[in-house]
Amino acid sequence: MRQILPFAVLAAVAVAAFYIFPYNLAFLTRVTIMMIFVLSLDLVQGVAGIATLGHAAMYGTGAYAAGLFAIHVWHDPLAGLAVGAVAGAVIAFVSGLFLMRAHGLTLLMLTIAVAEVLQEVANKFSDITGGTDGLGGIRMGRLLGVWKFDFVGQTGYVYAVCVLFLVMVLLKVVIGSPFGLALRGIQDSQARMRAIGTPVARRLLASYVLGGAGGGVGGALAAQSTQLVSLGVYSFQLSAEAVIMLILGGTGRLWGALIGTAVFMTVHEVAASVDPFNWLFVIGALVLAVVYAVPQGLMGLPAEVKRWIGRLA
Amino acid sequence: MKFNGLMGVALAALLAGVGSGAAADVVKVGVVASFSGPFAMYGKQFKDAIDAYVAEHGTKAGDHEVQFIFKDDGGPNPDQAKALTQELLVKDKVNYLAGYVFTPNALAVAPLIDQAQVPTVIFNAATSIITTKSPYFIRTSFTTPQVAAPLADWAIAQGIKTVVTSVTDYGPGIDAEKGFTKEFEAKGGKVLDAIRMPIQTTDFGPFMQRIKAAAPNALFTFIPAGPPAFAFVKSYADNGMAAAGIKFLGTGDLDDETTLQTLGDAALGIHTSFPYSAAHDSALNAKFQADLAKVDPGAVANFASVGAYDGTEALYRMIAAGGTDPDKAMKAVLGASWESPRGPITIDPKTRHVTQNIYIRVVERDASGKLINKEIETIPNVPDLGLAK
Repeated sequence: MRQILPFAVLAAVAVAAFYIFPYNLAFLTRVTIMMIFVLSLDLVQGVAGIATLGHAAMYGTGAYAAGLFAIHVWHDPLAGLAVGAVAGAVIAFVSGLFLMRAHGLTLLMLTIAVAEVLQEVANKFSDITGGTDGLGGIRMGRLLGVWKFDFVGQTGYVYAVCVLFLVMVLLKVVIGSPFGLALRGIQDSQARMRAIGTPVARRLLASYVLGGAGGGVGGALAAQSTQLVSLGVYSFQLSAEAVIMLILGGTGRLWGALIGTAVFMTVHEVAASVDPFNWLFVIGALVLAVVYAVPQGLMGLPAEVKRWIGRLA
Repeated sequence: MKFNGLMGVALAALLAGVGSGAAADVVKVGVVASFSGPFAMYGKQFKDAIDAYVAEHGTKAGDHEVQFIFKDDGGPNPDQAKALTQELLVKDKVNYLAGYVFTPNALAVAPLIDQAQVPTVIFNAATSIITTKSPYFIRTSFTTPQVAAPLADWAIAQGIKTVVTSVTDYGPGIDAEKGFTKEFEAKGGKVLDAIRMPIQTTDFGPFMQRIKAAAPNALFTFIPAGPPAFAFVKSYADNGMAAAGIKFLGTGDLDDETTLQTLGDAALGIHTSFPYSAAHDSALNAKFQADLAKVDPGAVANFASVGAYDGTEALYRMIAAGGTDPDKAMKAVLGASWESPRGPITIDPKTRHVTQNIYIRVVERDASGKLINKEIETIPNVPDLGLAK
């Protein structure tokens, strides 16, 4: 029951948002996609403890793979999604083979480098990727052959929410499994896990590949809903903002990834529409306040509030 | 913090609510551009220019009240640009769109405006293909080939027979290289070497040595404004290229008015081609700059502000003639000509892109000691050359 309740709440929120904000579905879809991306980052960074500022490498590869697949092979959205997931996993595997040998700052720098290298590759092969102009001309077929992607974005939103649920359930299962527990152990102490016979490097690589597939799914969804892929999918800013959203919500707990993303993007959207010229101040203040007052992220807020009340009493 | 814009919007909304019984209809224009981040300059230039235009012409176009709604896409970010545009269309129900700094952002909204039939005026994004993606696109900026090819013609006329091209290695740079090379070779010139430089480079010494070794009559370059452009110009001066008889030719992107002063003495004597110079000698240009200064004392007129200013003129013409009827509106502006601060311009009815004079300029100091782009030659009525391949 305790497992199911949060999912019921998530479903209720998703449905309510659909009816309360019928004119903001494009924005809600972007939030949902970002949630999937941040969730996949949570597996890598929050659970397995792999420090990364280059998660956009997987997002971008998934986006380009899904975009190119839709243009040249088949415009079916679900097939494109699978292609994006595989592409994200493959790039995570290839880069993970050498990334997982590094630690700490070195690892951080290398993850940034991988995303930058991929961005430059996409820029160089502009005949295939469209370079700085972006990869345009992506036309999407009907979802499951039935639902057309409409102008207001209803299909796109429902589609993204369904994928989010799927990813969430899968990650819950993964985290609860012995594999997930091993990852937590590795985050706490690599030496101890090695001593009790866990193949640390292999477990880390596996988590990186899984996170990569999730990132690829996020990128593929973005490509399908925007119908254009730009070099920005590999940008450092995307990787960094994802980390900020994760820290804002609280790492390692999946729900924190959802809350952090929702809060960050909503505040961004509202502040930017109220004052498109100075909204960055608001975002900065929010992040500062949360990191300072609730180091555990918004997920840690109830515990923190309890502590404050306890202190007063 | 500036709340003027917000107050204006709130006030307009209030008035619209109160006065909905009266006949004053409000036509809404959504402006999507970068107001934050490293490219916030563009948004500021756009907004200043729109404000200046509104200050001159009032908030009414014909019988219609015009209301602008600004949205920040934060840079080359098509996901955000598309989501914002979608919101403007379905929620705010705008009748016109404008802005768009970057090509991917403009391309991402093409299917939307096509479906919603909303006339959209591009203030900047400079890749030729954009206007072919929807019949509701109009562009009042320029395209890179439109600027590069006339410079090649002029170079030939100056007796320059050989060049080395050195461009930044990304879309617009490659467009510039192609546009220049095609025209230059067609007129009998010879390109000795074509160098593509990584985007982040700031050490151009090795490239200068390579150019010097090739000993051309001139070098042609495309570099976006900013630190690399500054380093490139300085490197040209430090390596004694001018003394070696190698002339400097470039597109005006690298010495636009917002960065020109920072280039310093190193820039003196370089030749660039562009549709707009703040030093353009006309009464209208002087008035434009005076009005800009009134809405924002620190404002500097450059290609982005004049693109937005002319774009706003196009919007007003469309709104006055068509109101909320998109096809009537498009008809009113296609083929229209008027005098702009940059000189005479026409919206080409076929490409929906602006046909304009391209000026060859040389960097000089004016009487007050400020660097200016002095126009020394005019190539009249240049269409978008990028599509005529």
